Amino acid sequence: MPVTFLYNALYAVILAYLGAGALLAGLVLAAFSALLSFWAGWTESGVMIQVGRRAFYATAAMIFIASVVLETALLTHDFSIAYVTEHSDLSTPIALVAAAFYGGQEGSLLYWVLILAILGSASLLASSALGPRLAAYAAGVMAVIVTFFLFVLVLVASPFDVLQITPPDGLGLNPVLRDGGMLIHPPVVLAGFASFAVPFSFAAAALLAGRTDAAWIAHTRRFALVAWGLQSTGLVLGMWWAYHVLGWGGYWGWDPVENVALMPWLATTAYLHSSQVQERRGRLRGWNFGLVILAFLLVVFGTFIVRSGIVPSVHTFAVSAIGPWFLGFLGACLVFSFGLLSFRSSALKSNVEPAPAVSREGAFALQNLLLIGVIAVVFWGTVLPLVSGLAGQERVVGAVYYERAAGPLFAVILLLLAAGPLVPWRHAGRPLWRSLRWPAAAFTVLLVALVAAGVRSLPALLAIPSAFAVASTVLYEYARAIGRWRLAGGGWSRALALVARRRRRYGAYLAHLGLAIVVIGLAASHFWQQEKDVTLQPGQQVSVAGYTLTYAGVQTRELTDHSELVAAMRFGDQTLEPARATYDGLGGQSLTHVAISSTPVADVYVVLAGTNGDGSASFRVFVNPLVSWIWAGGAIIILGVVLGNAGARRAAFVPVASRVTSPVGAS
Amino acid sequence: MIRWGLVIAVVAACVGYLVYSASGAASEYYLTVSELRSQQPSTADVRVAGVVQNDIQRSDGGLHVRFTEKDGTASVPVDYTGALPDIFKPGITVVADGRLGADGVFHARAVLAKCPSRFSTTPYTQ
Repeated sequence: MPVTFLYNALYAVILAYLGAGALLAGLVLAAFSALLSFWAGWTESGVMIQVGRRAFYATAAMIFIASVVLETALLTHDFSIAYVTEHSDLSTPIALVAAAFYGGQEGSLLYWVLILAILGSASLLASSALGPRLAAYAAGVMAVIVTFFLFVLVLVASPFDVLQITPPDGLGLNPVLRDGGMLIHPPVVLAGFASFAVPFSFAAAALLAGRTDAAWIAHTRRFALVAWGLQSTGLVLGMWWAYHVLGWGGYWGWDPVENVALMPWLATTAYLHSSQVQERRGRLRGWNFGLVILAFLLVVFGTFIVRSGIVPSVHTFAVSAIGPWFLGFLGACLVFSFGLLSFRSSALKSNVEPAPAVSREGAFALQNLLLIGVIAVVFWGTVLPLVSGLAGQERVVGAVYYERAAGPLFAVILLLLAAGPLVPWRHAGRPLWRSLRWPAAAFTVLLVALVAAGVRSLPALLAIPSAFAVASTVLYEYARAIGRWRLAGGGWSRALALVARRRRRYGAYLAHLGLAIVVIGLAASHFWQQEKDVTLQPGQQVSVAGYTLTYAGVQTRELTDHSELVAAMRFGDQTLEPARATYDGLGGQSLTHVAISSTPVADVYVVLAGTNGDGSASFRVFVNPLVSWIWAGGAIIILGVVLGNAGARRAAFVPVASRVTSPVGAS
Repeated sequence: MIRWGLVIAVVAACVGYLVYSASGAASEYYLTVSELRSQQPSTADVRVAGVVQNDIQRSDGGLHVRFTEKDGTASVPVDYTGALPDIFKPGITVVADGRLGADGVFHARAVLAKCPSRFSTTPYTQ
């Protein structure tokens, strides 16, 4: 027995020290890698570049070891470590215990830097084509970012702090988070956030090295797409989780926490389009640097907002010591970025004639401006409490502000999305109306149909026909591709070759199609949601939007750590079972289990509010049209990103500008 | 050819106008209970943050609720009809969105709970 005790005590101490030691070693290595890489880039010393880069890989290895240690401590319930005690307990299912790795402040920072180290290492391994200087500077910038995170993890918010007395059990996870969504949503969102640092590092490195040609874009495009794809997935999963768990019938609340995840996504959406203009036409050089830098700055800003608790949010975050550090980091990033951009401003001027308005590049430029406009709207709404608080009385804005201010911008973006892919590069050759007849027809048909159906809401009359126009553009392009394939003689191998050669384009169109489907789902569920609060006796019925539900009765179920009050609602041949769970162990906290009957047409969404002494029960019933389209469209977007980029080669791209005499690449 | 400077100016002006008009029409004051107490009843919606007291009265199967929101020494009765957040109970901080009636009762059209985020659990204290 004493031996086991000694072993356990030692084991705990060893885990904590191993983890903390790995982080400290990582910090030293990262700082070393940063210094060496910058020095090597400056002197163009091949050996030092190699050493600096290997120091970065070694940092990644240390971070990986620290992560494995933290996960081991969680899974072995090592409650001597404060982080394990605060974020797990013995009764939590093992998958959720594992998820506690990224479930708390310190662990989520470790997870973040782990993703950055892995993606960063991958991007450095693939960077040989960029030349030694640019790659060395990129390693340096990434190493500085990693150094900052490790500094915070070692000195301010360590996940390996040891408690004086080891408690017998941990505090566990809040019931709201005891859900499968916890396993997928936070890691994807955090990974998305972390990944924006990779394109930023290469952009900053290109500026440092004075390489303002498109080489860095060709290299970082895939990492920008990884970031964009992860963030898209994270946003959709977040909406899905909120919709299925929180029981308010919606999926997006314009909360600061949601806004700060949306803004870098918008900036990267703009970049993915404008970078094509630089690749093909040599324009918008400074703009592309600006967008990549903006996306990263928004990530740092968002992290600061979220982790410091400085704006009122429905999500409360532990007001912790890391807030000021992130503010300092944000300031440093701002100074560095603006300094770098102004230092290279003369090299960033595109010395080609400005873009004609009616051309693909014109459409991209306008779309970019509008996306920046949306970012400005969201940013202002997010910081208004701060700004107005400094000026006097604190003010906040709700969903209405975002709908009114961003809605019109989104409407124009949608129209551009329908027209843009049909407008040729450089200038519109044949009459535009001929190219645009299909989306225009789709728009008109839908508009007429909606008006005939009695719809009078202007936003709905704009959003839904526009989304159908976008879809028709995509389908038209696919039809043209099929026509070309038939003309070439058909056959499976030729189809595969065609798709493979143009996968970037067809992947992007698939993402457009997915977005159109998402927009239809968002618009329908936003404009035509119906809800009703009712109190029913057993046997009574309620009708919402033509869907009839019959309340059958209620029963109580006792489970190991909580009890459930389950109501039965007959709906056609199904029985919906909305419930309320009560967790005695957590001060009687209760948790809603929403019952959803989902079809492609509408979701019937039932929340049990409570029961009365006379046997009746109260419900809130929503009918949400086309919500499932949002999830389906989101999946199609991700599919488009994956298909369009699986093994994509840079050579698949022929710059239009190279065919005419224009000084592309001259800096 | 087109002057992009002009396009940028037009888009910026539109965004500025949209932000200005929407934030004028849709922003609400974010008050503490004592700040609310010092104001006259008004028709404009405000948001008030405070701690739920131990006097929750539910009726209508939990759809209608009356409770006191307290912040420091000031308190205000809140009246609300609708589904409440899961974690609603005495001791938690809520943000009530609505207006103070002439009857001295805050009529909320929404009650938001501060969500127990994955980043905050009570620190373990010995």
